[in-house]
Amino acid sequence: MGLLALLRKLKSTQEKDLRILLLGLDNAGKTTLLKFLASEEITNVAPTQGFNIKTVQSAGFRLNVWDIGGQRKIRPYWKNYFENTDILLYVIDSADRKRFEETGMELQELLEEDKLHGVPLLVFANKQDLLNSAPASDIAEGLNLLKIRDRPWQIQAASALTGEGIKDGMEWVIKTVKKK
Amino acid sequence: MNLRDADSGKILWQSSDDLSSPETEHEARVPKKVLKCRAVSREINFSSKEQMEKFRLEQRVLFKGKCLEEWYFEFGFVIPASTNTWQSVIEAAAENQMMPANVLNGNVIIETLFYDGDLLVSTSKVRIFYV
Repeated sequence: MGLLALLRKLKSTQEKDLRILLLGLDNAGKTTLLKFLASEEITNVAPTQGFNIKTVQSAGFRLNVWDIGGQRKIRPYWKNYFENTDILLYVIDSADRKRFEETGMELQELLEEDKLHGVPLLVFANKQDLLNSAPASDIAEGLNLLKIRDRPWQIQAASALTGEGIKDGMEWVIKTVKKK
Repeated sequence: MNLRDADSGKILWQSSDDLSSPETEHEARVPKKVLKCRAVSREINFSSKEQMEKFRLEQRVLFKGKCLEEWYFEFGFVIPASTNTWQSVIEAAAENQMMPANVLNGNVIIETLFYDGDLLVSTSKVRIFYV
Protein backbone atom coordinates (compact mmCIF):
# COMPACT_ATOMS: atom_id res chain seq x y z
CA MET A 1 0.00 0.00 0.00
CA GLY A 2 1.53 3.28 -1.09
CA LEU A 3 1.04 6.63 0.58
CA LEU A 4 -1.43 7.86 -2.01
CA ALA A 5 -3.58 4.77 -1.50
CA LEU A 6 -3.34 5.24 2.25
CA LEU A 7 -4.43 8.86 1.90
CA ARG A 8 -7.44 7.89 -0.22
CA LYS A 9 -8.55 5.44 2.46
CA LEU A 10 -8.19 8.08 5.16
CA LYS A 11 -10.13 10.78 3.37
CA SER A 12 -13.38 10.00 5.10
CA THR A 13 -11.98 11.17 8.46
CA GLN A 14 -12.72 14.59 9.93
CA GLU A 15 -9.22 15.94 9.96
CA LYS A 16 -7.69 17.75 7.00
CA ASP A 17 -4.07 17.26 7.96
CA LEU A 18 -2.80 13.97 9.27
CA ARG A 19 0.63 13.63 10.84
CA ILE A 20 2.46 10.34 11.31
CA LEU A 21 5.72 10.45 13.26
CA LEU A 22 8.36 7.75 12.69
CA LEU A 23 10.85 7.29 15.52
CA GLY A 24 13.25 4.61 16.71
CA LEU A 25 16.98 4.06 17.21
CA ASP A 26 19.45 4.62 14.39
CA ASN A 27 19.56 1.76 11.89
CA ALA A 28 16.08 0.53 12.92
CA GLY A 29 14.83 0.98 9.34
CA LYS A 30 12.67 4.13 9.54
CA THR A 31 13.86 5.63 6.26
CA THR A 32 13.65 2.26 4.52
CA LEU A 33 10.06 1.92 5.73
CA LEU A 34 9.29 5.40 4.43
CA LYS A 35 10.84 4.54 1.07
CA PHE A 36 8.86 1.32 0.91
CA LEU A 37 5.65 3.29 1.46
CA ALA A 38 6.58 5.57 -1.44
CA SER A 39 7.38 2.57 -3.74
CA GLU A 40 10.98 3.70 -3.98
CA GLU A 41 13.99 1.50 -4.53
CA ILE A 42 15.69 0.58 -1.27
CA THR A 43 19.35 1.19 -2.03
CA ASN A 44 21.92 3.52 -0.53
CA VAL A 45 19.88 4.42 2.51
CA ALA A 46 22.28 6.49 4.59
CA PRO A 47 21.85 7.45 8.26
CA THR A 48 19.38 10.34 8.49
CA GLN A 49 21.10 13.48 9.76
CA GLY A 50 17.90 15.43 10.26
CA PHE A 51 14.44 14.61 8.95
CA ASN A 52 12.79 13.11 5.88
CA ILE A 53 9.23 14.14 5.22
CA LYS A 54 6.82 12.77 2.70
CA THR A 55 3.69 14.73 1.95
CA VAL A 56 0.81 13.40 -0.08
CA GLN A 57 -2.15 15.53 -0.90
CA SER A 58 -5.35 14.88 -2.68
CA ALA A 59 -8.61 16.83 -2.80
CA GLY A 60 -7.71 19.18 0.04
CA PHE A 61 -6.63 16.37 2.34
CA ARG A 62 -3.01 16.01 3.36
CA LEU A 63 -0.92 13.24 4.89
CA ASN A 64 2.55 14.03 6.26
CA VAL A 65 4.93 11.32 7.38
CA TRP A 66 7.90 12.56 9.40
CA ASP A 67 10.97 10.36 9.75
CA ILE A 68 13.46 11.82 12.24
CA GLY A 69 17.04 10.55 12.51
CA GLY A 70 17.63 8.13 15.38
CA GLN A 71 21.29 8.68 16.17
CA ARG A 72 22.04 9.37 19.79
CA LYS A 73 23.08 12.96 19.16
CA ILE A 74 19.83 13.68 17.28
CA ARG A 75 17.44 12.09 19.79
CA PRO A 76 17.35 15.16 22.08
CA TYR A 77 15.71 17.02 19.16
CA TRP A 78 12.85 14.52 18.77
CA LYS A 79 10.70 16.56 21.12
CA ASN A 80 10.54 19.39 18.58
CA TYR A 81 8.48 17.17 16.31
CA PHE A 82 5.85 15.82 18.73
CA GLU A 83 3.18 18.45 18.31
CA ASN A 84 -0.03 17.54 16.45
CA THR A 85 1.09 13.94 15.94
CA ASP A 86 -1.84 11.64 15.10
CA ILE A 87 0.02 8.34 15.05
CA LEU A 88 3.40 7.35 16.45
CA LEU A 89 5.22 4.63 14.51
CA TYR A 90 8.09 3.23 16.54
CA VAL A 91 10.52 1.09 14.55
CA ILE A 92 12.73 -1.57 16.14
CA ASP A 93 15.54 -3.62 14.63
CA SER A 94 14.38 -7.03 15.83
CA ALA A 95 17.84 -8.50 15.25
CA ASP A 96 19.70 -5.90 17.29
CA ARG A 97 19.22 -7.71 20.61
CA LYS A 98 22.06 -5.83 22.25
CA ARG A 99 20.05 -2.62 22.04
CA PHE A 100 16.59 -3.87 23.08
CA GLU A 101 17.08 -2.25 26.46
CA GLU A 102 18.12 1.06 24.92
CA THR A 103 15.19 1.13 22.49
CA GLY A 104 12.82 0.19 25.31
CA MET A 105 14.04 3.12 27.38
CA GLU A 106 13.63 5.57 24.50
CA LEU A 107 10.10 4.30 23.87
CA GLN A 108 9.24 4.56 27.55
CA GLU A 109 10.35 8.20 27.54
CA LEU A 110 8.19 8.91 24.50
CA LEU A 111 5.16 7.38 26.20
CA GLU A 112 5.65 9.72 29.14
CA GLU A 113 5.75 12.86 26.97
CA ASP A 114 2.81 15.23 27.49
CA LYS A 115 2.72 16.22 23.84
CA LEU A 116 2.32 12.57 22.84
CA HIS A 117 -0.32 11.87 25.47
CA GLY A 118 -2.90 9.42 24.16
CA VAL A 119 -1.31 9.26 20.69
CA PRO A 120 -1.88 5.75 19.26
CA LEU A 121 1.31 3.69 18.99
CA LEU A 122 2.25 1.21 16.32
CA VAL A 123 5.49 -0.67 16.95
CA PHE A 124 7.09 -2.19 13.85
CA ALA A 125 9.19 -5.18 14.89
CA ASN A 126 11.29 -4.67 11.77
CA LYS A 127 13.92 -6.81 10.01
CA GLN A 128 11.96 -10.04 10.43
CA ASP A 129 13.72 -11.17 7.23
CA LEU A 130 16.93 -11.63 9.30
CA LEU A 131 17.49 -15.11 10.73
CA ASN A 132 18.44 -13.94 14.20
CA SER A 133 15.49 -11.58 14.60
CA ALA A 134 13.37 -11.84 17.73
CA PRO A 135 9.65 -12.58 17.26
CA ALA A 136 7.25 -9.67 17.77
CA SER A 137 5.74 -11.37 20.84
CA ASP A 138 9.12 -11.45 22.63
CA ILE A 139 9.68 -7.79 21.81
CA ALA A 140 6.21 -6.84 23.08
CA GLU A 141 7.02 -8.56 26.33
CA GLY A 142 10.48 -7.00 26.64
CA LEU A 143 9.08 -3.54 26.02
CA ASN A 144 6.25 -4.00 28.52
CA LEU A 145 3.74 -3.08 25.85
CA LEU A 146 1.04 -5.05 27.61
CA LYS A 147 1.13 -2.51 30.43
CA ILE A 148 0.11 0.37 28.13
CA ARG A 149 -3.38 1.46 29.11
CA ASP A 150 -3.54 5.12 28.08
CA ARG A 151 -3.65 4.72 24.28
CA PRO A 152 -4.43 2.26 21.52
CA TRP A 153 -1.31 0.29 20.58
CA GLN A 154 -0.28 -2.53 18.30
CA ILE A 155 2.89 -4.42 17.50
CA GLN A 156 3.45 -5.63 13.96
CA ALA A 157 6.10 -8.07 12.76
CA ALA A 158 7.51 -6.52 9.62
CA SER A 159 10.30 -6.23 7.12
CA ALA A 160 10.63 -2.87 5.39
CA LEU A 161 12.99 -4.57 2.95
CA THR A 162 10.57 -7.25 1.74
CA GLY A 163 7.37 -5.40 2.63
CA GLU A 164 6.16 -8.17 4.97
CA GLY A 165 3.69 -6.84 7.53
CA ILE A 166 3.67 -3.24 6.31
CA LYS A 167 0.21 -3.45 4.77
CA ASP A 168 -1.24 -4.97 7.96
CA GLY A 169 0.39 -2.23 10.01
CA MET A 170 -0.99 0.51 7.80
CA GLU A 171 -4.47 -1.07 7.92
CA TRP A 172 -4.28 -0.70 11.70
CA VAL A 173 -3.29 2.97 11.26
CA ILE A 174 -6.34 3.59 9.06
CA LYS A 175 -8.68 1.82 11.45
CA THR A 176 -7.28 3.68 14.44
CA VAL A 177 -7.38 7.14 12.83
CA LYS A 178 -10.98 6.59 11.78
CA LYS A 179 -11.99 5.72 15.33
CA LYS A 180 -10.55 8.91 16.79
CA MET B 1 16.12 17.92 -6.10
CA ASN B 2 14.55 14.99 -7.91
CA LEU B 3 11.29 14.13 -9.64
CA ARG B 4 9.77 10.66 -9.60
CA ASP B 5 6.80 8.92 -11.09
CA ALA B 6 4.90 8.54 -7.80
CA ASP B 7 3.25 5.29 -8.90
CA SER B 8 6.43 3.42 -9.77
CA GLY B 9 8.87 5.35 -7.56
CA LYS B 10 11.22 5.63 -10.58
CA ILE B 11 13.37 8.73 -10.86
CA LEU B 12 12.52 10.84 -13.92
CA TRP B 13 14.96 13.62 -13.27
CA GLN B 14 17.50 14.56 -10.67
CA SER B 15 20.09 17.19 -10.04
CA SER B 16 22.59 17.61 -7.26
CA ASP B 17 23.32 21.23 -8.25
CA ASP B 18 22.71 23.83 -5.61
CA LEU B 19 19.48 25.28 -6.95
CA SER B 20 19.24 27.78 -4.14
CA SER B 21 21.91 30.37 -5.05
CA PRO B 22 19.59 33.33 -5.44
CA GLU B 23 21.49 35.47 -7.97
CA THR B 24 21.10 33.02 -10.80
CA GLU B 25 18.13 31.52 -12.56
CA HIS B 26 18.74 27.80 -12.74
CA GLU B 27 17.61 25.53 -15.55
CA ALA B 28 16.20 22.04 -15.37
CA ARG B 29 15.72 19.77 -18.37
CA VAL B 30 12.93 17.42 -17.45
CA PRO B 31 11.73 14.56 -19.69
CA LYS B 32 8.37 15.29 -21.37
CA LYS B 33 6.88 12.06 -20.05
CA VAL B 34 6.64 13.68 -16.61
CA LEU B 35 3.47 15.31 -17.97
CA LYS B 36 1.92 11.89 -18.62
CA CYS B 37 2.31 10.63 -15.04
CA ARG B 38 -0.81 10.34 -12.88
CA ALA B 39 1.17 11.60 -9.93
CA VAL B 40 4.65 13.00 -9.59
CA SER B 41 6.72 13.29 -6.46
CA ARG B 42 9.19 16.08 -6.09
CA GLU B 43 11.90 15.84 -3.48
CA ILE B 44 14.14 18.61 -2.27
CA ASN B 45 17.16 18.05 -0.14
CA PHE B 46 18.58 20.81 2.01
CA SER B 47 21.20 21.28 4.68
CA SER B 48 21.38 23.84 7.42
CA LYS B 49 24.34 24.72 9.58
CA GLU B 50 22.13 26.77 11.87
CA GLN B 51 19.25 25.69 14.04
CA MET B 52 15.94 27.16 12.89
CA GLU B 53 12.72 27.33 14.87
CA LYS B 54 10.08 28.03 12.25
CA PHE B 55 11.39 26.94 8.91
CA ARG B 56 8.86 27.05 6.10
CA LEU B 57 8.71 27.40 2.37
CA GLU B 58 6.46 28.89 -0.22
CA GLN B 59 6.62 27.53 -3.70
CA ARG B 60 5.02 28.93 -6.82
CA VAL B 61 4.74 27.60 -10.32
CA LEU B 62 4.81 30.53 -12.71
CA PHE B 63 3.78 30.28 -16.35
CA LYS B 64 4.96 33.35 -18.28
CA GLY B 65 5.10 35.14 -14.93
CA LYS B 66 1.56 34.18 -13.91
CA CYS B 67 1.08 32.01 -10.85
CA LEU B 68 -0.57 28.68 -11.77
CA GLU B 69 -0.14 26.84 -8.49
CA GLU B 70 1.28 27.48 -5.07
CA TRP B 71 2.24 25.36 -2.11
CA TYR B 72 3.09 26.15 1.47
CA PHE B 73 4.84 23.87 3.85
CA GLU B 74 5.87 24.43 7.42
CA PHE B 75 8.75 22.31 8.68
CA GLY B 76 9.08 24.01 12.03
CA PHE B 77 12.26 23.06 13.84
CA VAL B 78 15.46 22.39 11.90
CA ILE B 79 18.28 20.58 13.72
CA PRO B 80 21.66 22.38 13.60
CA ALA B 81 24.14 20.82 11.13
CA SER B 82 21.38 18.70 9.61
CA THR B 83 20.56 17.41 6.16
CA ASN B 84 16.88 17.01 5.46
CA THR B 85 14.54 15.99 2.69
CA TRP B 86 11.00 16.88 1.82
CA GLN B 87 9.08 14.96 -0.78
CA SER B 88 5.71 16.06 -1.95
CA VAL B 89 3.40 14.05 -4.17
CA ILE B 90 1.32 16.02 -6.63
CA GLU B 91 -1.53 14.47 -8.52
CA ALA B 92 -1.85 15.47 -12.17
CA ALA B 93 -4.76 17.55 -13.42
CA ALA B 94 -7.30 15.81 -15.65
CA GLU B 95 -5.80 15.04 -19.05
CA ASN B 96 -7.90 17.62 -20.88
CA GLN B 97 -6.64 20.32 -18.50
CA MET B 98 -2.96 19.56 -19.05
CA MET B 99 -1.00 22.04 -21.10
CA PRO B 100 1.13 20.41 -23.80
CA ALA B 101 4.91 20.21 -23.38
CA ASN B 102 5.68 22.53 -26.30
CA VAL B 103 3.60 25.31 -24.74
CA LEU B 104 5.12 24.84 -21.30
CA ASN B 105 8.69 24.41 -22.51
CA GLY B 106 10.89 27.21 -21.15
CA ASN B 107 7.89 29.19 -19.93
CA VAL B 108 7.58 27.60 -16.52
CA ILE B 109 9.54 28.83 -13.53
CA ILE B 110 9.43 27.18 -10.13
CA GLU B 111 10.10 29.78 -7.51
CA THR B 112 10.79 28.72 -3.93
CA LEU B 113 11.09 31.06 -0.99
CA PHE B 114 12.56 29.73 2.25
CA TYR B 115 11.74 31.45 5.51
CA ASP B 116 12.57 31.14 9.19
CA GLY B 117 9.41 32.69 10.63
CA ASP B 118 9.15 35.97 8.72
CA LEU B 119 12.82 36.13 7.82
CA LEU B 120 13.58 35.28 4.19
CA VAL B 121 16.52 32.86 4.33
CA SER B 122 16.97 31.85 0.71
CA THR B 123 15.26 31.86 -2.66
CA SER B 124 15.49 29.63 -5.67
CA LYS B 125 14.33 30.04 -9.25
CA VAL B 126 14.38 27.14 -11.66
CA ARG B 127 13.25 27.44 -15.28
CA ILE B 128 11.85 24.19 -16.62
CA PHE B 129 12.48 22.82 -20.11
CA TYR B 130 10.60 19.74 -21.26
CA VAL B 131 12.84 17.61 -23.43
